[in-house]
Amino acid sequence: MFSRDLWSEIFHSIKNNKLRTFLTGFSVAWGIFILVLLLASVDGMKNGFTKQFNDDATNSIFIYPGATTKPYGGFEAGRRIQFDNEDLDYIKQSFKGYYEYITPRFTKSVTARYGNETGTYSARSVNPDHQKIERTLINNGRYINENDIKNTLKVVVIGKVVADELFKDEDPVGQNLILNELSYKVIGVFSDDGNEREERNMYVPVSTFQRLYGNTNQIDEIALTYNPEFNFAEAINFSDNLEEVLKRRLMIDPDDQGALYMNNYAEGFSDVSNFTTMLSVISIGIGMLILIAGIVGIGNILVFIIKERTKEIGVRKALGAKPFDVIKLVLLESVFITSISGLIGMIFAMGVVAAISPIVDAPAFSNPSVDTVTVITSTIVLIVAGLLAGLIPAIKAAKVKPIVALRAD
Amino acid sequence: MIEIKDLHKSYHMGSNSLHVLKGINFSVKEGELVAIMGSSGSGKSTLLNILGMLDNLDEGEYLLDGVPIKNLSETKAANYRNKFLGFIFQSFNLINYKSAWENVALPLYYQGVNRKERKERAVKHLESVGLGPWIDHLPSELSGGQKQRVAIARALAAEPKVMLADEPTGALDSKTSYEVMDLIQKINDEGKTILVVTHEEDIANMCKRIVHLKDGVIMEDTLVNQVRASAHVQ
Repeated sequence: MFSRDLWSEIFHSIKNNKLRTFLTGFSVAWGIFILVLLLASVDGMKNGFTKQFNDDATNSIFIYPGATTKPYGGFEAGRRIQFDNEDLDYIKQSFKGYYEYITPRFTKSVTARYGNETGTYSARSVNPDHQKIERTLINNGRYINENDIKNTLKVVVIGKVVADELFKDEDPVGQNLILNELSYKVIGVFSDDGNEREERNMYVPVSTFQRLYGNTNQIDEIALTYNPEFNFAEAINFSDNLEEVLKRRLMIDPDDQGALYMNNYAEGFSDVSNFTTMLSVISIGIGMLILIAGIVGIGNILVFIIKERTKEIGVRKALGAKPFDVIKLVLLESVFITSISGLIGMIFAMGVVAAISPIVDAPAFSNPSVDTVTVITSTIVLIVAGLLAGLIPAIKAAKVKPIVALRAD
Repeated sequence: MIEIKDLHKSYHMGSNSLHVLKGINFSVKEGELVAIMGSSGSGKSTLLNILGMLDNLDEGEYLLDGVPIKNLSETKAANYRNKFLGFIFQSFNLINYKSAWENVALPLYYQGVNRKERKERAVKHLESVGLGPWIDHLPSELSGGQKQRVAIARALAAEPKVMLADEPTGALDSKTSYEVMDLIQKINDEGKTILVVTHEEDIANMCKRIVHLKDGVIMEDTLVNQVRASAHVQ
């Protein structure tokens, strides 16, 4: 099928029609170039969005209390909902295996002082699981552990910004930091990929703050991550279930929209995935439409070439060329032109992407890249396109009557 | 070798129909050199097209080496043409981007012969028509007579049963024409059956038999004393 003679014939007609081959090849190269760039851009957007979400674990659910909007169970509307430690324990017991990490959280504004430096920061009281949920990175020292919780130790983990502002060049770990006139020992410094604002916070053991401030067992909010093996539907199902159980426990009307806020990242994440998938589909569509222009161009040049070679095709048929021999010749030529020009377009696009990718890192657009799937898809698309472009000219060529060769010109 | 019985052929152009061949009966034995003569419109080209399986017959019978030729598929016709027939055209019809030997090898290419053997056989045929030194030349580098000799070598390449020549000397001056006819006579001497369509008396007289066509019927079919072309070639 791929004999030397076949190739020499293909090269011959390309050589004889250099400019036309170049121009039509260019349209295909351009089509693929745009297709690959579009796909890379979508990839960049996807990366950007994913990065935004990755600040926190992508399987996290945050539960905030609100105020009831409907009377229920003998209570009037407008009752403020308050979580406490028992609610947390209840979730832990009821949903074993459904959640991965769970932590209470309540935030207090504190005035911090070290030496002559003072500042106002948010102190969050949490348990050790919080590190996983917030994806806190410990640079130095350690995070809160179970021992701190059990013994209600006055220890604090501070953000990088806090450390820079209060301790300047000193190593904060092991130093004493005054929070609201009480002395805490700094056990660690953390940073956060997601944002710098997070690095203005500090973390203390939840039991310590509960004892020091009102000796309560109250919690502002609950954060947890669901079992990472859950798919989207299971995750949504779990969070619906959790909401239902909590509403029952806290005597809230099941239809009350204001009493509990469930913030499930799966939903937001799924929206983003749908959005980027949609973008991919649209960009493939646009790329294809541009490619069609190229295909029509190639079909056009082939029809022309065949018209020029009618007599030659007639002679070949008189000498014993079967219709399939002729079709093969035209189709291979078409596939050859499309594949080569498409490859060139693809290589150019990948070059552009590779050059741009490390530079671009905006919040919604980061590190665009071309994956193998794109490359394979484009290659298949090109070959199919080449076959389609050659189809009509090939059929036209196969229909040439050998009799025309006998007509003297 | 060739047997034709009551052959009819018409062409339809819109509502008009043109009856070109009106019942041709004609047979050619192996080793004959037949000239088909006639003015334009006599139907001689149509007859040759049908003989060459380039056109279908409407009515009648055509046997080529005992094989009935009727309603062939394109692929089958291509196969038979390749196996049974060698064509020589007035305008040579060489492929201009292929060298002499590649042109000669083309029928072998469609037989699926490998490239090495193709070249060997093509060179052998080119040498037999006296073009040994020209095997790598392109048609544009050859004279008219040389081109026609390449075409003859090409017609011989597939070892056909019958050679069909359509005005083989129509585009050549008389000296070159005689050289070409000399070659055709020599090939015929070796036993090959050859049909030559021509309207030139002197060319026809170099064949062994002349068939006169007029208005789609055979007017005359006579054996002649062959004039050897070599007498005209120095």
